[in-house]
Amino acid sequence: MSKRHSIVPPISQAGPKPPVQLSSSLTIADSAVLTGSHPIAIHGETVIHPRARIESLCGRVTIGRRCIVHERATLGAVGVSGRVTENAVTLGDYVTIEVGAAIQAGETVIGDGTTVGVQAKVGAGAVVGKHCTLTPHTEIAAGEVIPDYTVIYSNGMRRTDRRGVTELRNKAQARQIEVLRRMIPSNPAKFA
Amino acid sequence: MAPLTPYTYIQCPCSDVSPLSRSNDPNSPSTAGADDEERTFDPRAPRSNFSLYPLEYLLYCEDCHQIRCPRCVAEEIVTYYCPNCLFEVPSSNIKSEGNRCTRSCFQCPICIGPLSVASIDSQPDPNLLAAPDQAQSGTNILICSYCNWSSTEIGITFSKSNGIHAQLAKIRNGGAPRLTAKEHKEKRKEEAAQSRLAGASSPESEQNLDVETQFANLKSFYQGQLAESSSGGNGLSSLGDLGFASPNSLSRIMSIYTGGSLHDKRSRSRVGTMREALDSDEGLQLADLDESAAISKLQSEGYEATISTDQLTEQPPRLEDAHLHGRTRFTSELRPIPYLLRTKRSKRCPVCRHIISKPEAKVATTRFRIRLVAGSYIPTITIRPLNVPGGASPTSPPDALVPLQPAQFLLTFRNPIFETVKVTLATPSKTPGRFPSKVTVLCPQFEIDANTDVWDEALNKDDTDKDRRRRRGDENNNGGNGNGNGNGNGNGNQPEAGKIWERGRNWVSIVVEVVPASLRLDLLASTANLAGGEGIDAGPLREDEDILEIPMFVRVEWEVEGGGDEVGSAPGKDKEATEKRELAYWSVIGLGRVGQS
Repeated sequence: MSKRHSIVPPISQAGPKPPVQLSSSLTIADSAVLTGSHPIAIHGETVIHPRARIESLCGRVTIGRRCIVHERATLGAVGVSGRVTENAVTLGDYVTIEVGAAIQAGETVIGDGTTVGVQAKVGAGAVVGKHCTLTPHTEIAAGEVIPDYTVIYSNGMRRTDRRGVTELRNKAQARQIEVLRRMIPSNPAKFA
Repeated sequence: MAPLTPYTYIQCPCSDVSPLSRSNDPNSPSTAGADDEERTFDPRAPRSNFSLYPLEYLLYCEDCHQIRCPRCVAEEIVTYYCPNCLFEVPSSNIKSEGNRCTRSCFQCPICIGPLSVASIDSQPDPNLLAAPDQAQSGTNILICSYCNWSSTEIGITFSKSNGIHAQLAKIRNGGAPRLTAKEHKEKRKEEAAQSRLAGASSPESEQNLDVETQFANLKSFYQGQLAESSSGGNGLSSLGDLGFASPNSLSRIMSIYTGGSLHDKRSRSRVGTMREALDSDEGLQLADLDESAAISKLQSEGYEATISTDQLTEQPPRLEDAHLHGRTRFTSELRPIPYLLRTKRSKRCPVCRHIISKPEAKVATTRFRIRLVAGSYIPTITIRPLNVPGGASPTSPPDALVPLQPAQFLLTFRNPIFETVKVTLATPSKTPGRFPSKVTVLCPQFEIDANTDVWDEALNKDDTDKDRRRRRGDENNNGGNGNGNGNGNGNGNQPEAGKIWERGRNWVSIVVEVVPASLRLDLLASTANLAGGEGIDAGPLREDEDILEIPMFVRVEWEVEGGGDEVGSAPGKDKEATEKRELAYWSVIGLGRVGQS
């Protein structure tokens, strides 16, 4: 590993260390942050980028297979209510959480194959369907239910994705994960 | 209320109303002119909106020595180019092919994002590793990477990945081929020949025509009608219709004045009765009023399938398509939008026709060949509040001015030219409008040093420090404020009448004192009553009426080296003789909002 140092201040692993349930085929960067008191489960071939933040203070966080959680994304951010639920955040398979996106805790569900765009926000209790696309800076209000194949773009406009390329997208995601696995040094032992 | 950043706007002389008012009032031209000279500029007048510009928007004509604004310059197009592919389009192509990119640049009809061409290989065979022929023949689509729209939603795929515009012109939404006008004609000829052979009339007379063909059909039909009817006799046709309402009587009256040619043509054309178009070959197109298809589609697909007004207005005019009769209501009717071309323009002075701004003709460069911006000829004015320790208003909040409490502002004039300039300022003592604030410019006349080399100041730092102090002490003011000269080098921190506040290499700061008016309407009524009270406007506070704006007349004088290049200079004159230049304009200085108490 190269000795390049970031100008960003080092990650402080503040807060309690959560009980984790990590897959052996997982790629998780050394500087990712997992905090909280509830269990965090991450399934096979998922990639967690450096400085991604997964909090289980308000309940269990589950991440499916072949997901990509990008840098500075926050899963399970403590919302306004701060109430504890059984499942804080549940991600399906093939989910992409882009850079800086935030997903609030509180029975929030992101369906299979959904992309949450750069700096997008998903409120507590929102249920985003399968194969949706949230474009950058989209905000989903708390408790909203988004049907499958919805594209949310340009300040909340919505349309249905009729391309029918879910298979292709899943393949592309798998290929991207192949590359990322070689790029990101994984250190799951740190979190165990 | 949002705090207001102080601003300076400059009035372009092109919008000067004086010649207009003189022409409107021919009885008293001299008095009207005199009025204009005397009148102070009102920044709140409705006309002022169109004449005030920030300095950055203004240009300067070096030959007329005058400010030019975006409204008065004459523009000429240098190049047309596509903003997406940055290809230059010759102007001859614009005439023939329209003002949109004819390559493969398209915008998404849903979100106006750029569309990209992608190939969808139909069931790629894993056994065949590389098959370039197949890749060529594979279908291509346009996709928007932002909103995930693809041209398959309107049923359009392309066989080649380049020349999308030409391919798109041949496909209707849904994939049906579309014929060009020429092909239509040929097809019709063939059909006619076939029907003649069959000895029966064409059953396809009620076909749907596109707008272009319909127009062509109508035109040819009515031309034929005109030719037929005018070949008839040229008798007493004009007596046939003497009714007052008939267009012929009007044309007859007109012909008395215009000389008869119009009359002759019209009257001849009216001889035979003209038939109207009867079928689609003659250009008749019945409106399709059966909307049950649209209603059922709306019921099945709902609101999501309809398009917004924005999306509809983005659509280019579709002359090549069948008459839509209001059918563009569904997303399935949308078509990819070819990019509108953009232009680079050069600007000319409206008076002397000299070019004052000319961009480089090459599309990719952002440089200019000629660019005479006003900012490099006239002084810039920057404003900041002056908080004097122990002064008039030390605790005033920066965002709102306290009514009836004096506030001081520092105006900094920065000289961009390489000559020493003499600046004279004039403001009305009370700002125009319903709530007049008192304005006092403490030093209305001063000189700004030339914009010399930046290093001069740094190298002679000791000198300039001394210099500055000296100058602040005894700036000789030959304006009206002579009484300021007496109490010379007293308190340096106290703004004094007739004294420059501070000066630097090419800038001078002066102090302006304002007493903002109270915005209370009852006070307004009472003062108006005292003043005689004829027709006061006691309406509620209008939008932005609480902004304190000072109209300021700026007169800049400087001397230039003898005008060798000047046309009017006599050849025998001394080259060294200096010439005086003068520029005067109104500007508006917005200081801030007056607080409401």
